[in-house]
Amino acid sequence: MNYGPLVFLAAFFALASSWCGFVLTPQLQIGRLQQTITVGGAAMTYPQARPGLARQGLEVYRANGCAYCHSQQVGQTGTVLDIALTDAGTNQAATVAALLKLAEGSPDHVPALTMLRPLQPGGSNAASATILEGLPKAFLRSSTREAANAAIKTLNATGAKAQLWIVPVGPDLARGWGQRRSVAEDFLFDSPVMPGSQRVGPDLADLGARRPDANWHLRHLYAPRLEDKGSIMPPYRFLFEKRKIVRQPSPEALALPGDLAPGDGYEIVPRPAAKALVAYLTSLRADAPLFDAPMTLPASAGTPASTNAPVVPGTTSATAAPANAPAK
Amino acid sequence: MRPEPQPPLPMTAPAEPQAGRTAVPVWLIVLLFLLLYWGMVYFDQHSGWFDAQVYAPYRSAAELARYQPPTGGPDLSRGKVVYENICGLCHNNDGSGKAGQAPPFVGSEWALGSPNRMIRIPLAGLSGPVQVNSQSWNLAMPAMGAALPDDDLAAVLTYIRQSWGNKASAITPEQVKAVRAEVGNRTQPWTADQLNAIQ
Repeated sequence: MNYGPLVFLAAFFALASSWCGFVLTPQLQIGRLQQTITVGGAAMTYPQARPGLARQGLEVYRANGCAYCHSQQVGQTGTVLDIALTDAGTNQAATVAALLKLAEGSPDHVPALTMLRPLQPGGSNAASATILEGLPKAFLRSSTREAANAAIKTLNATGAKAQLWIVPVGPDLARGWGQRRSVAEDFLFDSPVMPGSQRVGPDLADLGARRPDANWHLRHLYAPRLEDKGSIMPPYRFLFEKRKIVRQPSPEALALPGDLAPGDGYEIVPRPAAKALVAYLTSLRADAPLFDAPMTLPASAGTPASTNAPVVPGTTSATAAPANAPAK
Repeated sequence: MRPEPQPPLPMTAPAEPQAGRTAVPVWLIVLLFLLLYWGMVYFDQHSGWFDAQVYAPYRSAAELARYQPPTGGPDLSRGKVVYENICGLCHNNDGSGKAGQAPPFVGSEWALGSPNRMIRIPLAGLSGPVQVNSQSWNLAMPAMGAALPDDDLAAVLTYIRQSWGNKASAITPEQVKAVRAEVGNRTQPWTADQLNAIQ
């Protein structure tokens, strides 16, 4: 009995179906991904191409195997709708009463801050003044968008100014590794992408936002435990050069304490590879609110740092990519 | 001599194993249908209908739409481009200023104060000692904004007033136009005292 053709067909269909699932479908979905427009408030084009030095830094990142210990993809397990007060208004008693009523009267809201619970309606003015300190602050967590809008309306009617905060949550975000989940747009201009899979070290998807200081990165590459006591990262000293000081010290020389200091008459300066790598690391920013990863920027952040690179002249809304508009 | 009696040969050799036919048990069919049903339910709940924009933890574009932040904020992108092409070189792209070159905008009373006063600075420049964030600066800024059209200047000033945590009113092209008419053809840079007289 000759089963040859049947075996061939079975193997062919098994491989073809997985090829369709893992190669063809993603290619059809995001193979032609383009820049998109950030949502909420200021509309900006995202992402921007990395500057040239940072693009060289990607090669250094790749060559040194950084991706074997560091991932660049942040996960998210949910999104919550918080109602925050930005301004308590003049009638604080009414505001507090409205907050308590919303927190207790409806299953649509839970108090985001436990301090709301002990307070009773009609409590003392001192107590209400205490909880209204340090605004903006989230007070309620709503279950639906409609309930949140209604609550904001109720609070605004008392003269306060309430805002809706859309806050992504998850273990990665709780560690401070990012502000939202990573999406395909974050990697648009990287070739190859370095998403990594191991997390021997922390996730770097949003590193430029939490560590903007280039000198910190240089010292950390030279001596990781200088900046982070418990770090298990190996030092990358071959990216630096010990040089005799001629005439006056280089402005790029690392400020190193104690026995790390290179000795009198010498200085440690970063080689071009180190500078490129640091430019790449500080350009890693995934903190733009997008349609597929919505969020409200933290109140202190001001405008969104929605690009991962300085804006290149001429690449703004005028040349903006077709909007990745939500399907109606 | 008679030969030894041979033991009798077995009548038949053991039969070759053969593939038979048996009915598939009913429970297996039921199990397969249950698995198929579970798969469909899982697909329905977790596929996001293969929408390229739907990532976990969101399950559909409709759910994603419920989490979109409210729109209607100012569009600062134009001001950002102008800022980073012109102002950012000295004042830094994050508005923090550069020591020895230009004072910061973040929290600066000049940036957050009266629009009339702020619009005058890029139109004619500013030189001499000036206090910014209770720090003293003594530099000369040329009239960087004199050549900009009204709407670009308004966009960049609004960007400065509403970025990096700054929260001040927006500046309209009409305001810029009015101030430009008042300033006229002034070529001398302002001094801090002259500007402080303007509200």
